[in-house]
Amino acid sequence: MSESKGPVERTEASAGLMQYSPENIVPFGPVHPALKEPEYFKLILEGEKIVEVIPRIGYVHRGIERAAQDRTWIQNIYLFERICGICSFAHSLSYTTTLERLTPFEVPRRARYIRLIIAELERIHSHLLWLGLVGHWTGFETLFMWIWADREHILDLEETITGNRIHKSFATITGVRRDLPDNIDVALKREMKYIEGRVDYYEGLVTTEETLVARTKGVGRINQDVARRLCPVGPLLRSTGIARDVRVEDPYAAYDEIVPDVKTGKDGDVASLLVIRLEEIRESCRLVTEAIDKIPSGNVKLTVPRVIPEGDAVGHVEAPRGELLYFIRSGGGMKPERVKIRTSTMANILTATEMLRGHTLADVPVVLTGMDPCFGCMDRVSIVEVDKGKLWSIGGEELRKYGIDQYGARRRG
Amino acid sequence: METERAARISAAVGGQVGSLRHSALVTVAPDRVVEACKLVVEDGQYYHLSTITGIDEGENISVLYHFWKGGGFVTVKTSVPKSNPRLPSVSASLPAALFYEAEVMDMLGVVFEGNPRMGTKLLLPDAYPPEAPPPLRKEADPEKIRKMMGLE
Repeated sequence: MSESKGPVERTEASAGLMQYSPENIVPFGPVHPALKEPEYFKLILEGEKIVEVIPRIGYVHRGIERAAQDRTWIQNIYLFERICGICSFAHSLSYTTTLERLTPFEVPRRARYIRLIIAELERIHSHLLWLGLVGHWTGFETLFMWIWADREHILDLEETITGNRIHKSFATITGVRRDLPDNIDVALKREMKYIEGRVDYYEGLVTTEETLVARTKGVGRINQDVARRLCPVGPLLRSTGIARDVRVEDPYAAYDEIVPDVKTGKDGDVASLLVIRLEEIRESCRLVTEAIDKIPSGNVKLTVPRVIPEGDAVGHVEAPRGELLYFIRSGGGMKPERVKIRTSTMANILTATEMLRGHTLADVPVVLTGMDPCFGCMDRVSIVEVDKGKLWSIGGEELRKYGIDQYGARRRG
Repeated sequence: METERAARISAAVGGQVGSLRHSALVTVAPDRVVEACKLVVEDGQYYHLSTITGIDEGENISVLYHFWKGGGFVTVKTSVPKSNPRLPSVSASLPAALFYEAEVMDMLGVVFEGNPRMGTKLLLPDAYPPEAPPPLRKEADPEKIRKMMGLE
């Protein structure tokens, strides 16, 4: 029997997808163990254009909120730090700051200054890491190499002060675990000056370099209306011109005494994210320098009992990626009854889907990097072109090349 | 200032003012949640919904909506019985709640009526056994769930 001209028979596997035909579905993600925060985005394409984005997260959900209920208050500091390898101090700081609201103790002033210094160093290294990744995904490998070499200066400082490069294990309830080493102010000031100089150079570069401008200007644009509806946080929110920063509006650590200047953009695209993050690095350098000049003497922590009085508390800090919220319930014992954590990327995912809509597949790497999430998902992309019944996969590396080639072709032709 | 606002809102929706460190708190009945959240957003322009927290209280599940615009938070709290954990969704007027509600659904099994993401999982693995209690409920035993999923 030959029914050669009949329609293609629907199989089990394709049945779910056929409803979108003739649009194309691109399952994007979900996971690569080497990087942070894997996500899965189901991209629905019309030719090259993205018409809909359906996110699915949770691939590295490790049940930390539940695990926290079986650990003591102190043990939890080190557990929460392991949620993120980049903003580890932001997690321990948000947790301890919120927890301290349940205790009658006041954090010593010197400890608050040290917390500010570490938090700002972390912001600098996180933003530098991100900027390097933008260089990588746009095919500007030299930028990536330069920036990651500069980032080492900050990591060395962090290691000198806290003993660790990444998981600093430095914050503790009512303070920090050790005092600053002797004469660290000289090294801090020297490195801050160095980073400021580099930022000046990169700022000139990212605003004038032809490829970077073509890949980022007007890409992933959101406006204030979208920001109000979807509640993104951090640089993503500030890129639309809304000056919202937890450090200024709800000060913690020593931010009430050393007040940051909030940097905002107006275009809400990836290009303005680049500039905002560079300006924030410069601002962080200023804050660190000011803090080390003004740091008071005294204790860096208090001795506190192992039990925390009963009550509920909510608190947040400005992590490099934005507001990071902790809700803690204590039953008056040695362990928490409930800890709820809302990370910055969780708040930004909905906005990222909005940023992608209307762009092309070639823009996906840059737009998703713009939001500063995990890039693990990039390494396992499979493309289904429904109307032709084809299925193939491209890895992150190939997709990166695809983006670079597409933009190269546009410029040439 | 947050406390005054909380008092005004709770008077409007027949709720109670409570306490929570660093936040004003309004406790309302489950059917008044949408109204209360709308008032917080419109009255005080607390348009930033920080997150939604779910807590297992034993017989009931508490759901807390944290709003922020600078200074302290304003929190709207409600609670639903475990036997019938259903709440109206606030996502129609506050799209930011879409994922936060889906998270509470995954972790504590509270159904938010009107949220389009209720049919799919957001954080839990697709293979999570439907007969097992949601993982943040007090009766959830990680060991038993691991066995149910065939992991041991």
